[in-house]
Amino acid sequence: MKRNLSILLIMLTTSLFAQTQVNSGMFGMLEARQMGPGTMSGRITSIVGVMSDPKIIYVGTAGGGVWKSSNAGTSYKSIFDKYCQSIGAIGISPQKPATVYVGTGESNMRNSVSIGNGMYKTTDGGDNWKAIGLDSTEHIAKIIVHPSNDQIVYVAVPGPLWSDSKHRGLYKTSNGGETWEKILYHDEKTGCAELLMDPKNPNILFASMWQFRRQPFSFNSGGEGSGMYKSTDGGLTWKEISNGLPPKPFGRIAMALAPSDSRKMWAIVESKNTGLYISDDGGESWKNQSATMNVCARPFYFSTFEVDPKDPKRVYRPGYEFAYSDDGGYSFSGASSDGGWVHSDMHALWIHPDNTNILYLGTDGGIYKSIDKGISWSFTHSLPVGQFYHVSHDLQKPYNVYGGLQDNGSWKAPSAAPGGINNAHWQRVGGGDGFWTVPDIDGKTVYVEYQGGNMSRVNMTNMKSEEIQPKQTNKEEKLRWNWNTPIVTGAANPKNLYTGSQYLYKSTNQGRDWTRISGDLTTNNKAKQQQDESGGLSADNTSAENHCTIFTIAESPLDANTIWVGTDDGNLQVTTDAGQSWKNISTNYAVSGIPAGTWISSIEPSHFDKNTLYVTFENHMYGDHTTYLGKSTDMGKTWTRIQHTEFTGFAHKICEDPINKNLLFLGTEMGLFATLDGGTHWFRMKNNIPEYALVRDIKIHPTTHDLIVGTHGRGIFIVDDISAMRNLTAEIWNQEVYLFPTPQITLNNGLYGWGGPEVSGGWYAGNPSSVPSIDYYLKDRVNTGKVSIDIYDANQVLIQSIPGSKRKGINKVYWNLRSNPPKVAGGSTKIDGAGFTAPMVLPGSYTVKLRVKDQEYVSTIQCVHDDANNDLSLADRKLVYNKAMQLQGLYNHLNVDIDTIQYYKTKLKADSNNKANKAMLADLEKIRAELMATKQTSLFADEEKLREKVSQLYGSFCNMEAKPNEIQLKAIEALDEQYKQLNLKLNQTLNKHLPKINL
Amino acid sequence: MKKIFLSLLTLLTLQTAFGQSADEIVNKHIEAIGGADNWKKMNSLVMEATMKAQGAEIKLTRTHIHNKAMRMDIAVMGMNGYQILTDKAGWSYMPFQGQTKAEPMTADDIKTSQDQLSILDEFITYKDLGKKLDFIGKEDLEGTECFKLKLTDKDGQEVTFWIDPASYFTLKQSQKIKANGKEMESVTTFSNYKKTEEGIVYPFTVSADWGESEITKLTFNSKIDESLFKPSN
Repeated sequence: MKRNLSILLIMLTTSLFAQTQVNSGMFGMLEARQMGPGTMSGRITSIVGVMSDPKIIYVGTAGGGVWKSSNAGTSYKSIFDKYCQSIGAIGISPQKPATVYVGTGESNMRNSVSIGNGMYKTTDGGDNWKAIGLDSTEHIAKIIVHPSNDQIVYVAVPGPLWSDSKHRGLYKTSNGGETWEKILYHDEKTGCAELLMDPKNPNILFASMWQFRRQPFSFNSGGEGSGMYKSTDGGLTWKEISNGLPPKPFGRIAMALAPSDSRKMWAIVESKNTGLYISDDGGESWKNQSATMNVCARPFYFSTFEVDPKDPKRVYRPGYEFAYSDDGGYSFSGASSDGGWVHSDMHALWIHPDNTNILYLGTDGGIYKSIDKGISWSFTHSLPVGQFYHVSHDLQKPYNVYGGLQDNGSWKAPSAAPGGINNAHWQRVGGGDGFWTVPDIDGKTVYVEYQGGNMSRVNMTNMKSEEIQPKQTNKEEKLRWNWNTPIVTGAANPKNLYTGSQYLYKSTNQGRDWTRISGDLTTNNKAKQQQDESGGLSADNTSAENHCTIFTIAESPLDANTIWVGTDDGNLQVTTDAGQSWKNISTNYAVSGIPAGTWISSIEPSHFDKNTLYVTFENHMYGDHTTYLGKSTDMGKTWTRIQHTEFTGFAHKICEDPINKNLLFLGTEMGLFATLDGGTHWFRMKNNIPEYALVRDIKIHPTTHDLIVGTHGRGIFIVDDISAMRNLTAEIWNQEVYLFPTPQITLNNGLYGWGGPEVSGGWYAGNPSSVPSIDYYLKDRVNTGKVSIDIYDANQVLIQSIPGSKRKGINKVYWNLRSNPPKVAGGSTKIDGAGFTAPMVLPGSYTVKLRVKDQEYVSTIQCVHDDANNDLSLADRKLVYNKAMQLQGLYNHLNVDIDTIQYYKTKLKADSNNKANKAMLADLEKIRAELMATKQTSLFADEEKLREKVSQLYGSFCNMEAKPNEIQLKAIEALDEQYKQLNLKLNQTLNKHLPKINL
Repeated sequence: MKKIFLSLLTLLTLQTAFGQSADEIVNKHIEAIGGADNWKKMNSLVMEATMKAQGAEIKLTRTHIHNKAMRMDIAVMGMNGYQILTDKAGWSYMPFQGQTKAEPMTADDIKTSQDQLSILDEFITYKDLGKKLDFIGKEDLEGTECFKLKLTDKDGQEVTFWIDPASYFTLKQSQKIKANGKEMESVTTFSNYKKTEEGIVYPFTVSADWGESEITKLTFNSKIDESLFKPSN
């Protein structure tokens, strides 16, 4: 018994340690750069402002969490980074506006819609959040908080899109979310899609129920469950409203009432004859009003209708386009194009309650603001919520990133640029819904596509594009192209270009010619190919439901003849002879517990072993959100399912590090995960990446070692240089402190110059560091004692001491490759720049001493001359350095003189009435006024004396990356001469006065 | 047998340690920083600190009479600036930013900065000042799972603290300042805790967005010339 307990204790301890050994906190300093951009944004699902303080606005997004503006939209801040990023609805308590409820899971039920995990609540305006249930609802459409009781909340829940569920209907809590009561429910196929409350009588509620369902290959909106309901007792009892409405069945119903006259109501009722209906009697009876295209378009997707808070005649229909009416919805006009195009596909509108000219509009491409009642709009450039499907990169220096976004085309941007990356660096390279955007190895060609496999080859030198999609030939069935059709280049032979319908095609001449290298690789299930019938009451067939198609293509990096193909209907196929023969291995993975028929979302053939591959499987379209990740080491014959308790969300992408085979990254609908031990232990990446980011694609750059992450809702993230993750082994992480070797440093001022000030108003992503970091590992955070990095030259002279960070895990410190700057004498009237700089060190070996408390850890850095700089030879570098040091010496002498004067001035002032003292003070001040600027009275009145001249020239030499010219060299001599004269003058003055002075 | 059982118990206790109340955490925190009695003996403070930026040094001196007045002198590149805050007024003189004379603080700034006039740890005084304490829960701070507590004063000004569950030291503090119609956040992290002669435990290294400063000298209860708390230009 005693022994058993001991074993239990050891097991417990071991498992505790095992779980805490490697975690996200260890890599927090590898902070991702959020590339954005804000140039194109993403789908906005909810905009709600604080009625009593309308400059405070909360914005919910399709995949980018919640953003808050405290300044009427001038800037936004992300406030939901630790939680589910798909937002369905936001409700603010009118009584206590710091209490905000957020419903996760967007309800614009398109094929690519994400899912939520319930309701969240904050009571401090978004600083802290708490999950408060309804966690199986998946989609939430509307939240209304009782006007005088922040504990009473109504939540409209359409519920799951892809499966039957009891977790639908209208919910109410009376205790702030501690418990929930379902107060309106129809069946497992019908949810609640709309909710209104009479502002004058909070007991009067209206709700619309919606029957809907998606399958991977079809969509249906409408059914007997759909209907309109009214309650007059706070939701206790409900009656169905039908008087004046069209014959059932209904689809989705959007509703609105006039806040200034709540008897007036509007409803867009999806039916066989979808139209706008109005009521003048609080919803008791309805009459058909109008049926413009924009009112009726895609009712499942456009479910927003708003009324001016003060004027019941002024109504708004943000839908496919923006439309407004001044006659209560009888006729509509569209927004002006002055100020530019307003992104189509609108889902949210918030109207300022006091100044109703001010409107905020949420579209598939971000937020717009109007100050003229929606006639003209200005775009908000600072919301980086773009929804990427895929990312890629080229091999240029700096490399470019490429990617395609939901409803926002395909784009390209450099990973670094002078001044740092901002919106202006992004270039559009393709239109439509963008997906794969892949550069060719030739450096000037990019392959882009839009939905349904419409692909082009773009010449980046003139942006001309040629359509290259393979077409159906006589003996073939109709080609089936996935909405998100793969077009990829080979990992072993980058000149190979692949794409796939149900067949795989290969091109070796940039898509000019294609060879079909397979038969139908899908299940070719005809029952899943009835897309013409899709939509339900309103036809909707936009290629989003195409099925039995190829979804994933991967050429082995070790063998161009080995190609893996995954389909959206569960087939995993491989050829080892470049397509002459194919083997379907889909029955093999099912043995490991992965369901048959899933989407094969990504395939990663190993960089180290031809027989090894990783595959992600994705089954959410059958209502299954499990994270499926499989590994095979025998060409797919047998499979191991990789599982971990940390995983959340269905899996989109597995990525193997090309250098360390034990380092893997997994991207899911709810997070980015990493393992350092080949897949046994995983942790969630949190380093400036939202913890539940919708991670669609992951790449590792082969030369910069950057991790590039494409998210569906927060744009692109780059973790610059993940070497520290590669290098952190168990041997290291068990040490208290470990100083990593620093790679050789090439001496230059970075790749770029200044580049101008940061651009105002957009999204700014910055640049990677211009110098490599000095990395060290701390097993625990250091709370007592100091951490510092000291740099010594070859003579073991301390040249700079840098404060070290003290966090648990990997720490990074940046040495500016310079020694300490010179000291500046007192009495200045303006900042003297010389005090901030020193010349860049010369090539050689430098010692790094990491001091943690009283321990010292030592390594060496090799600094080398930058041979790539043709403007500066090694001899020039030495000349520049020596001249800078000469100037620093001159500067130091000058400051000694100034300090000497200051010293005597202080002494003399003690008896300033003394005549001799007065005389000496006056003479010293004259010299001081020649040595340095002393009279400057304003920031805008420059005064330049000897010190300012020396400082300016010293600064030039310190930052010089070219051979100095003769005039610059002569200028040093001139300053030196001026100094000598002043120094002589000072000594003469001292000699003259001191004998007469009694100090 | 008993020993093993106790060890197991300890393990389980560690697991449930996060269940403790805000008051318990605060009490342990106060004990960890030297105890309220030692802190309450302090009525003035003079602190000298150095900030390093790329090898350049900035000297900071804080002169402070508890609940009455404080002054921060900043010496940069041969120039000297200062900020003064009293219970009634405040000035700022920053010649490095081009100011040629001391400029007054806004009434809002003075009001929202009054908390800074206390030299005591916030958790020693919060009850007397009528502040509300909330235990938000556990939160990861750069790899360390911390207790997260929030103090809110009567005007709604909030300060959030991250407290290390091992040492009970404050590792990070985030203050939301709502003044002059805008809201700003000021984040500070603390380390290098040392016990002073007076028996109080003080963070000798403080980091913020603008850099890291290290205290080089800390003197309590010295006599302070009150003329320092008026602008000299």
